Amino acid sequence: MDNQLNSNILDLYRTLGNNTPLSYKGPIDDHILQVIGTYIGGLLKHSPKAGKKVFKIFIELAQNISYYSAERSKLSNNKDIGTGMVLISEQAEYYTFMTGNLVKTDDIITIIEKSEVINSLDREELRQYKREQRKLPPGKKGGAHIGLIQVALTSSNPLDIEVNPVDDEHSFFSIAVKIDK
Amino acid sequence: MENIHIEGKHGVNFIPTVDFNAETGVCELAGESYLEDTIEFYTPLYDWLKQYTTEVKKPLVFNFRLRYFNTSSSKCIIDILNILKRYETAGGDVTVNWYYDAEEEDIEDELEEIEDFMIETNIKINLVPN
Repeated sequence: MDNQLNSNILDLYRTLGNNTPLSYKGPIDDHILQVIGTYIGGLLKHSPKAGKKVFKIFIELAQNISYYSAERSKLSNNKDIGTGMVLISEQAEYYTFMTGNLVKTDDIITIIEKSEVINSLDREELRQYKREQRKLPPGKKGGAHIGLIQVALTSSNPLDIEVNPVDDEHSFFSIAVKIDK
Repeated sequence: MENIHIEGKHGVNFIPTVDFNAETGVCELAGESYLEDTIEFYTPLYDWLKQYTTEVKKPLVFNFRLRYFNTSSSKCIIDILNILKRYETAGGDVTVNWYYDAEEEDIEDELEEIEDFMIETNIKINLVPN
């Protein structure tokens, strides 16, 4: 047995703690979307308003990973699917929804800039920004930004973005969003 | 011209129910839309609407009964509304109804979204509580 790996998984389990009702790392395809989506629906039955928001935010951010993650997995049907992490943590007053995935470092500046723009706008400005972005012809990365705008609108809270370089070409991009109960 | 009927699924593919009727001119989009390949799904619907509005040219009623849609589907809704707006501008008789559940928890968000659709496409959408 690889004792190092076993103690790593214990560390991970303790890090996640009791207030993380869901954590997932792996490819995010339609099946995973459905399974986690259904799970969120059940988990949050006691706070329907927050529950629906968590669900909407989950769909947008998970689909972003599925389309844009720089780490890809080939599934049995030969489909090329983005891989990443999805976490939900629960506090007394709010949920935090988090995702993390690898992004090409060349693409990261755009994502950070867009996120800063999103965080600097009030609700009316955000809506206008979404309408403007939606009008643009679909570009490869365009969809992700509208998803982020929608996440900010749905949560009514700023996007907490962090970027950590992992090698010469890639960075780990993580986003955490608070959803008030 | 053929009718379109697609049964919605909320299993693995999250596709809305589609009912486009060429005889009555009533079109419905219902359920959930957060599928992965929105273009592939929605293109035949655009084609149908373009054919109806340029060849059949009878009154058209479009009923939205969507409970949930993702941002990529919202772009497709905009595309549909733009086709309807063009028909209206060309003299076509168009009614757009959006049915919503007034009891829904996040109803303000949904109404805001529909208002954005109206601002973006310049077409009137009647809000109809269920």
